Amino acid sequence: MGSLNYIQGETGTQVKDVFISPDAPHTLLLDKHADYIAAYGSKKDDYEYTLSEYLRMSGIYWGLTVMDLMSQLPRMNRQEIVDFITACQHECGGVGASIGHDPHLLYTLSAVQILCLYDSVDALDVDKIVEYVKGLQQADGSFAGDKWGEIDTRFSFCAVATLSLLGKMDAIDVDKAVEFVLSCMNFDGGFGCRPGSESHAGQIYCCTGFLSLTGQLHQLNADLLGWWLCERQLPSGGLNGRPEKLPDVCYSWWVLASLRIIGKIHWIDKDKLRSFILACQDEETGGFADRPGDMVDPFHTLFGIAGLSLLGDEKIKAVNPVLCMPEDVLQKLGLKPELLS
Amino acid sequence: MHGRVKVKSTAQQEEEKRKEREKKLKIYTAARDACFSKRKDGVCDEEALHLTQQLLSSNPDFATLWNYRREILMHQETVKDESEVQKMYQNELSFLESCLKVNPKSYGSWHHRSWVSERAPQMDWARELSLCDRCLSLDDRNFHCWDYRRIVVKKSAVPVGKELEFTDRLIGSNFSNYSSWHYRSTLLPLLHPQSPESAPPSGSSPPSPQTHSHRVCEEQLLKEYELVQNAFFTDPNDQSAWFYYRWLLGRAEREEMISCVFISRDEERVAVAFSRPVQAQSGGLLLVLDGQPLQVDWRSIHPRFKHSPVWICDLPPGSINNIANEHNLTVHWPEKHTRRDCALYTGRNESWCRDSATDQELFRSELSVEKSSVLQSELQSCNQLLELEPLNKWCLLTIILLMRALDPLGYEKETLAHFQTLKEVDSMRSAYYSDLCSKFMIENTILKMEYAEVRVFSVSNKNLTTLCHLDQLLLITHINLSSNQLRHISFHFSMLQCLKVLEAENNCIENLEGVYCLPKLEEVLLKNNNIATLAALRPLATCPKLRLLDLRGNPVTQSADAESHLAELLPSVACLLL
Ligand SMILES: [Zn+2]
Repeated sequence: MGSLNYIQGETGTQVKDVFISPDAPHTLLLDKHADYIAAYGSKKDDYEYTLSEYLRMSGIYWGLTVMDLMSQLPRMNRQEIVDFITACQHECGGVGASIGHDPHLLYTLSAVQILCLYDSVDALDVDKIVEYVKGLQQADGSFAGDKWGEIDTRFSFCAVATLSLLGKMDAIDVDKAVEFVLSCMNFDGGFGCRPGSESHAGQIYCCTGFLSLTGQLHQLNADLLGWWLCERQLPSGGLNGRPEKLPDVCYSWWVLASLRIIGKIHWIDKDKLRSFILACQDEETGGFADRPGDMVDPFHTLFGIAGLSLLGDEKIKAVNPVLCMPEDVLQKLGLKPELLS
Repeated sequence: MHGRVKVKSTAQQEEEKRKEREKKLKIYTAARDACFSKRKDGVCDEEALHLTQQLLSSNPDFATLWNYRREILMHQETVKDESEVQKMYQNELSFLESCLKVNPKSYGSWHHRSWVSERAPQMDWARELSLCDRCLSLDDRNFHCWDYRRIVVKKSAVPVGKELEFTDRLIGSNFSNYSSWHYRSTLLPLLHPQSPESAPPSGSSPPSPQTHSHRVCEEQLLKEYELVQNAFFTDPNDQSAWFYYRWLLGRAEREEMISCVFISRDEERVAVAFSRPVQAQSGGLLLVLDGQPLQVDWRSIHPRFKHSPVWICDLPPGSINNIANEHNLTVHWPEKHTRRDCALYTGRNESWCRDSATDQELFRSELSVEKSSVLQSELQSCNQLLELEPLNKWCLLTIILLMRALDPLGYEKETLAHFQTLKEVDSMRSAYYSDLCSKFMIENTILKMEYAEVRVFSVSNKNLTTLCHLDQLLLITHINLSSNQLRHISFHFSMLQCLKVLEAENNCIENLEGVYCLPKLEEVLLKNNNIATLAALRPLATCPKLRLLDLRGNPVTQSADAESHLAELLPSVACLLL
């Protein structure tokens, strides 16, 4: 890993972090990012693109959301995308990642998010989606990702995020769902995949987002969790997802959004994080990578831009920290997820 | 998508790569299409197993193919005899092992393994556990493997003590292992639960190491202190052990109870404070006045809060307004089997009944007094470490926490000095330290106020950046927050239901959201703050008795017609200082 570097800590202990070269980008290259995303979907017979077919629906959500945040959504082919989504819904109501792929909560949420951006939720059979989500709730309140039974707090988030975008939260047993998520809370105030699983920034984002959407943020220990989250910031300014891991643009988003949800975003050094995110841009191709000097992708491009939005960049639309969608889209839907102050 | 370094290559290299990718693409799409068409035709044969295996070994995140594979295996179960089925699932486990070797972090492979473990006629759980051992020896932070290990442990009833020994071994070989410390936090309360008489009664909340943080017996707690100390003396910059130590030093969450009942004749109003935010609206609270149940509407202190630690209700007009009458009030909380009584005597305008923070030792350690000597020696060890490493932030913060657990007031000065150092050595998190220090200063002020038995809360000139514990201040009449660094008076401030005077001069306050529906509030002193708009002052209009408002030195006073607008907005204010 070329960018990996070991920075000597105060007393000689090695801190895992990256080194940011002084000639790394330090201004926001919005036009290049928009060009990068616009071109991404056009190389459909590319090997790498084909390999990522199993998550296509999320890929489209990443690309469209980042375009919308940059006010460039009209550059994307709306009709083609809406038709594609309609074709991905199954008889059971769930949506697959792509045509021929099985339905799953992950892609059902992505599909609903995309259609909210386009204000065309009717392109899917909404009643059937609600039935699908409802059918995946287990007796203990948890959610399986699909009929094959994998349980994860990510899927609890997908379920309530999908239903709140559709205004159908009352279809599920919310109290039980909350009880399950709370049973995944750990000694450090964070959350893992299942009861007993180690805390992880991605999972914490899902669980704080879940508690926000269900109006239960008071159940968190915000001081303790906020401390763990702000300790994710490394000397480079980037944030990692767990102790002793490398910083990453996507974890920067998950940690930052969680901090915003629990009202502690001021506990990290915003200027340093901004510099780290900007350094992950690729000046030639556009787009953001996980770390400076790595290959860019739409996933990190969205979370780079969304992170900068939460940090207050005025060239980007305001992003909602819970649903990772533009605030103006949620306003139109009348959705205002709870945030701690 | 992660960790792929961008390498520069020549045009010729690019062309070669392109050709190679094209070839790979053809093979891949042919195999994928063959799988999809077989599945469409409902074919569940060996060839399909072979095809999916070929694709999944290099692309284990292709969830649909795992699903197809499960369909095939389930079909094969119906056509094979038991030993063949056993053989088939054993093959499946071997295939998965090779997948996990290549990609140990694939959700799909791990989930499929636990699915297979449910279906196979016989499972060799000891083998599964040793697979986890091997996998964790390659990467002791792989959370997929830890999660699978927990499934195996549960399925094969591995004793909790054995797993605790496993974490002993891992921590012994490498202290810097957050996953192992985490696992310990889940095992200890199972193995060494707090003795039943000292444990709070179990509430409705689900068990987790967070809510049950101190359901660990005192003796084991002391042993853990020693283990952690070994860890941080070996590597004082390893955060894992420090995080764990802070958990050990923490307190269990308070049980849900009514901590205060306040009754006021003037407003004919009752306010109830709880130990935690609750939802009291949905018919959960019963109010009995002089033996008669009363139908009242409970509301939280601010419409923003669906859950709140303080709830208010208005009594029917005339029910308590005659000062010659004595009244007895009881608030019942049937769901939690708890109640609180409060008597309002003749000649008195108000009355209350409450638990004090001092009596409950809210801000101290939970250890019994004799065991607190151990904390004292912990503090000594940390002080020794600090002499060797005067800028170690983890050590500084832990010393602060130990001091608070032992004697929050006695160590106040040293605590403040350590916070100052912390903000310098870890400037990225200085706002966190400022907020934490504010919290501790507020706790100390609550203790001092309770010792002095007054209803005046004074925290001026303490560098406060945030306000907290406001539910503890339900009864205070005066608050002095002057000369701090406060930027907001947040919604929680509306818990100060008895407040008459708010002094908050010389801060940088921009909004007053929490100065909302305070029935007794008369004076608000906001000289030299950052209030820029009339909108920011709007909440004050909900305080009916407000008569004095000092806004000198705020940007809002610059506008020419500020005075007339304010007179319109706040008609009750007789004395307006601009
Ligand atoms: Zn990433």
